[in-house]
Amino acid sequence: MGLLFERPLPHGGRLVERVVTDPELGKKMAKGCKAIYDIKPTLHYETGVPVRNVYREIMSICYGFFSPVEGSMKKAELERVLKERRLLNEWIFPYPMLFDISEEDYKELGVEVGDRVLLRLKGKPFAVIDVEEIYRINPEEVATRTFGTPEDNPEVVREPFDKKHPGWVIYRSMNPVILAGKYTIINEPKLIPPFDRFWYPPRKSREEYAKRGWRTVINHQTRNVPHVGHEMLMKTAAYTGDIEPCNGIQVNAIIGVKRRGDYPDEAIVEGHEMVHLAGYIKPERHLVTICLWDMRYGNPIESLLHGIIRQNMGCTHHMFGRDHAAVGEYYDMYATQILWGKGIPSFGIPKPVNEVPYGLQIRAQNMAEFWYCPHCREIAYSGCCNHTKEKQKFSGSFVRGMVAEGVFPPKVIFRPEVYKVIVKWWKKFGYPFCNEKYVKEKEERLEVELPDMEV
Amino acid sequence: MAHFVAILLDDKRLNAIKGTEVEEKIVDLFGGELKALNIEMPEEAEKWIMEAFTSSRIDTRGAITDVPVAFNRILFEEVAKHKSMGKEALDAVISRADEIKEAAAKEAEYLPPPDIDISDVEELQKSPYQKP
Repeated sequence: MGLLFERPLPHGGRLVERVVTDPELGKKMAKGCKAIYDIKPTLHYETGVPVRNVYREIMSICYGFFSPVEGSMKKAELERVLKERRLLNEWIFPYPMLFDISEEDYKELGVEVGDRVLLRLKGKPFAVIDVEEIYRINPEEVATRTFGTPEDNPEVVREPFDKKHPGWVIYRSMNPVILAGKYTIINEPKLIPPFDRFWYPPRKSREEYAKRGWRTVINHQTRNVPHVGHEMLMKTAAYTGDIEPCNGIQVNAIIGVKRRGDYPDEAIVEGHEMVHLAGYIKPERHLVTICLWDMRYGNPIESLLHGIIRQNMGCTHHMFGRDHAAVGEYYDMYATQILWGKGIPSFGIPKPVNEVPYGLQIRAQNMAEFWYCPHCREIAYSGCCNHTKEKQKFSGSFVRGMVAEGVFPPKVIFRPEVYKVIVKWWKKFGYPFCNEKYVKEKEERLEVELPDMEV
Repeated sequence: MAHFVAILLDDKRLNAIKGTEVEEKIVDLFGGELKALNIEMPEEAEKWIMEAFTSSRIDTRGAITDVPVAFNRILFEEVAKHKSMGKEALDAVISRADEIKEAAAKEAEYLPPPDIDISDVEELQKSPYQKP
């Protein structure tokens, strides 16, 4: 076996790309549609607050982030994903991808199997779905089976999922009628600032790595403005690689509806960018990117999707920390590392994700904790520093509390330039974190604009 | 183990407790880069906080966090006023419950940003390395 790692193939063997870049062809496809449907945000089943917009899934599918998935899943595929986390073509995939509509909208649309439906976004043509199957779901059942239960998945599920879990709420809030079929974007959206400069769909990211001469790339998943602990995680994890540390460090921020208390997406991407603009990591070695997805906070399940997205983007490695993409204590705090280290049989993955047939090629770099050690006077790795009584953790709630009180954080917590990015967006939104007002306004604005298209 | 609320101390707050016995309770965080008061909450006060503010929780340090900023502000005011972190200060905080809740409701919509100069980062952002 050679010592050098090569860029992995996309998951499934080839990149899915379902974006029509020729507007005339797009118009032609739109004209052949049987019905028109205006995409609406999914609203919380109790509060009515937006929790998801399916447009983000259509974007991520059509630009290949979720390869090999090509559209909204058929019933048999949904069942297989829920039972074994596999698509019908055998490839591992963690989450149901569904185009859901209400009974009223279904009746009004009057579509049948074989029809093409034009999907409009912000009032303009955006994509089409070629309907291959129409079926119904029980949203609560899908929600619970998606994340698992303590009885069915005792290896890692610690508490039953409920309405306090934002991912469970997304599936619970879905409409009952599913239109299954492939999506095609027919009117290419333009990302709006500041997201436009971080838009690297898999083909473009692979080209960018080649341009930069990156053979090995480690990905850092984020939904946070980076504090110094995150920065140390990135720098330290990047020492892995093959015969040398990873050539590139990629940050991939999940952009979409987030829970109250998370930072606004604009501050997240610009906060990470500031790490290289202010020189803490050389910009030549650091690439900030985004993926559109309303985060499900599914810890091990979410980590599978993260692995797929980043393998499709061309990364060789992925860092996973404790409580990866987690909220609350529904899962074991090391559930993701268990999945990548030995597998979770009850989720259909009896061995590490890289060792099962049709699994992933991207390599996990499971990391423990970073804390500030006043004895070492540095950010220390828990696997090294033995001053456990003196350690000071980067508690997310502590950091949020400090920010909310307007205390200028010390340099050992936030780089001053990064903190000022938080303040920049705080001044714009009147709030340093996601709140209901931010979510509602953002879900009207979204992250894209669409060109006019006369149909 | 009793849980506590950590009140961060900026210069203004440090001055407000200077020379009092509360000053002796100041703890260093992050190698002395931050100063704080860890105010222990008796069981009854903790119960009141958890019920009054549904976002509040206990973190891995044993700290009661995610409480409204207004709660921390009033807690500090009463500690400074009473020159004590004891029961009398906590009772005074609870007696201002309506005031805290009213301020907390407004906080869900708006928090005043700190008045700091951010022109240096705006200058850096004028020449992004990654371009659209």
